Amino acid sequence: MLILGIDSSALAASAAVWDGEKVLSQCTVNNRLTHSQTLLPMVQHVLSHAGIALGDLGLLAVAAGPGSFTGLRIGLATVKGLGCGSGIPCLGVSTLEALAYNLEGFAGTACCAMDARVKQVYQAYFALAPGRDGRGTVARLNDDRAVSLEALEQELKDAHSPVYFVGDGAELCWRQFGEKLEQGFLAPAPLRWQKGESVARLAGRMLEQGGQPVPAEALAPSYLRLSQAERERKAREEARG
Amino acid sequence: MGALYSRSEEETERLGERLGKLLRPGDVVAFTGGLGMGKTCFVRGMARGMGLDVPVYSPTFSLVNEYRGEKALYHFDMYRIGDLDDLYSTGFFDYLDTDAVLAVEWSENIAGALPEHTITVAFARDGDEARTITVKGDGRFADFGD
Repeated sequence: MLILGIDSSALAASAAVWDGEKVLSQCTVNNRLTHSQTLLPMVQHVLSHAGIALGDLGLLAVAAGPGSFTGLRIGLATVKGLGCGSGIPCLGVSTLEALAYNLEGFAGTACCAMDARVKQVYQAYFALAPGRDGRGTVARLNDDRAVSLEALEQELKDAHSPVYFVGDGAELCWRQFGEKLEQGFLAPAPLRWQKGESVARLAGRMLEQGGQPVPAEALAPSYLRLSQAERERKAREEARG
Repeated sequence: MGALYSRSEEETERLGERLGKLLRPGDVVAFTGGLGMGKTCFVRGMARGMGLDVPVYSPTFSLVNEYRGEKALYHFDMYRIGDLDDLYSTGFFDYLDTDAVLAVEWSENIAGALPEHTITVAFARDGDEARTITVKGDGRFADFGD
């Protein structure tokens, strides 16, 4: 089955067509947030370069969050538009889990991190194991969350197996504490940022494991609450009595 | 860096224009000082100083106004922003990634989320019309109060 994978959750935006075994075509931009202008032309390019029409796709997969508010809305709106018009089923996937698929075949832990600003990252860990047939395993270790860089540093300070920082928050983690970790590794640049391919591969894996696609109307972004906000709100509510 | 004195909305606007001429892409200008101080007048001047020939109005209801010409100025009102989640859903963090200048009214409400090199403009009341306006920023604004 042909899967279109789209990720516009941060500065990088990417679209790819995956046929279940290989990438037929992929397009990525990593400059500034102009996804509202670049994403649809990118989709058009990857479809035409793959030699297929929209109607040939069996699934539209999109990184549904966490990520940039504007970026997620553009990605979701684009896929909803394509899905509503064509009737092709859709699947929203975790941006962080898709990032872990950039490192499929590695051994260690993926620390997927996206810059959430205010010294926080959207983050989740995934256990990575290589597979001899070229299919590695990527196993989620915790729920997607917003966490302060400080708290993350505490969690990782005694890491005794390789931890790979991946995502647009990877360098932030790296500069803050990652490079001091004996087992800390910054993911190689070609694998560090979002890829449409990874979104599509993850979606394919989810279908294999019984995941159910949804109609386009049912797609929803998953914004994550910033962790400090909760505390501040509580403090404000308490102050009000 | 220093305190300025304005006796009228027109003077406030002219001060804004002076500041606008000094601004560079990516600058964030954060205002403090409460209601009816002339912040929007100041931003109107800023836009003119940046060479933007556009109507500038208060973003109280829209949360953000976008003024675009050769340069871009995004004008925020954070009056109703209560926490980081509210702020996130204005797209503020995404605007920081652009080459635009950001003007932020009611920046008191997002103090913890302003970037490191923010230029601050504090308004204080000096009677009905008069205002003391204190600008703090990098070297460009060193003699702004003279």
